[in-house]
Amino acid sequence: MAMVTQDATFDLDVFLLDRAKKRPASFAALRPHVVSTLGDVRDSVAHASRDSLWISYANDLTDALMRSLSAGSSALGLGLFVHPLDTKSIPALSAAFRRIAFTADGGFIPADELAEVLRAENRADLFVGGIVNQGTETITFWRGDLQSLTVPFSAFEESGDGTVPDFTSFAVVDFGQTVRLGEYEAAVDAILYEFDRAYRRKIKKERHGTEQSFGASVRRLRKQRGLRREDFEPELSAKTIARIEQGKVKRIHPSTLDVLCDRLSVAADEIRSY
Amino acid sequence: MAFTLKLPAALRKAGWKVKIRDKERREPPHVTILRRTDAWRVNLRTGNFMDASPDPSAVPDEVVNHMRSHWERLCRKWDEMYPDNPMKNDD
Repeated sequence: MAMVTQDATFDLDVFLLDRAKKRPASFAALRPHVVSTLGDVRDSVAHASRDSLWISYANDLTDALMRSLSAGSSALGLGLFVHPLDTKSIPALSAAFRRIAFTADGGFIPADELAEVLRAENRADLFVGGIVNQGTETITFWRGDLQSLTVPFSAFEESGDGTVPDFTSFAVVDFGQTVRLGEYEAAVDAILYEFDRAYRRKIKKERHGTEQSFGASVRRLRKQRGLRREDFEPELSAKTIARIEQGKVKRIHPSTLDVLCDRLSVAADEIRSY
Repeated sequence: MAFTLKLPAALRKAGWKVKIRDKERREPPHVTILRRTDAWRVNLRTGNFMDASPDPSAVPDEVVNHMRSHWERLCRKWDEMYPDNPMKNDD
């Protein structure tokens, strides 16, 4: 049976702001301080450090936390607000925490999955939730280290079988590894690969031999964009694209590079990162 | 629509899933085995595990064998979902 990859060195001091009786059991592995009264909030803030992780399921306890902060406490660590958060609270929380994650409409993974993702070694490569903004046609995802990543709706192309994403039906599933939009599912690793250069660099480091060539990067990028070699015509023939991908073109002419960048929708210095 | 290969109940209960999702890293065609926070990609052209980490040996033989017994179906599904990067494509 597979071992779940978890960080043996997880050493954040976890504060769970919650009144639910059963939910703290889901977080047991994080050894949280369960904070369920307003008095507990004040005491916890007084003893917390920058290496703390605060997870709140209760609006009024978050409000109490903010009141305690405004009383002059030191900066806290990470804040994850699972309950719908009033947008007016965001500036104060952003100032008090090193990083915060929040939602408007319950866009986080279930408690048991959240607890496991937060302590997973690969947590930065998993999503814990997100916010869909219909106005700007973007989704902002929260990663397991609470960094954010904003992606346009256009990243979720229609599937070959005709399935289209339904942005009114959003969920992160599979322990942060899949984004579900109605019947449409996207692999989180595919989203990161497309939108996070540091993630691509990490993946590329793990590859071997000729796969790291410029031509191999062009080929991967062309596939990622769903293009055929013929789609670069008339400026570049399919035969020329094949020669570039096979590493037979030793020096790429600037005008050729311009066409590649244009059709692949990428900056020249980004190509090698794919 | 994302494709999930139905696994025997014991494997499902243990958290194993085998999927082809609508948006994947496209090159090469592959199927993904998922369990909790881990994922293993298997190349549909060669049958090999594509990544050294997590350790492929952590995937039980039952999962691999079940997947291999539905190989043609998985390949067909990939072609349906990614017609611009089909299984039989040497470009």
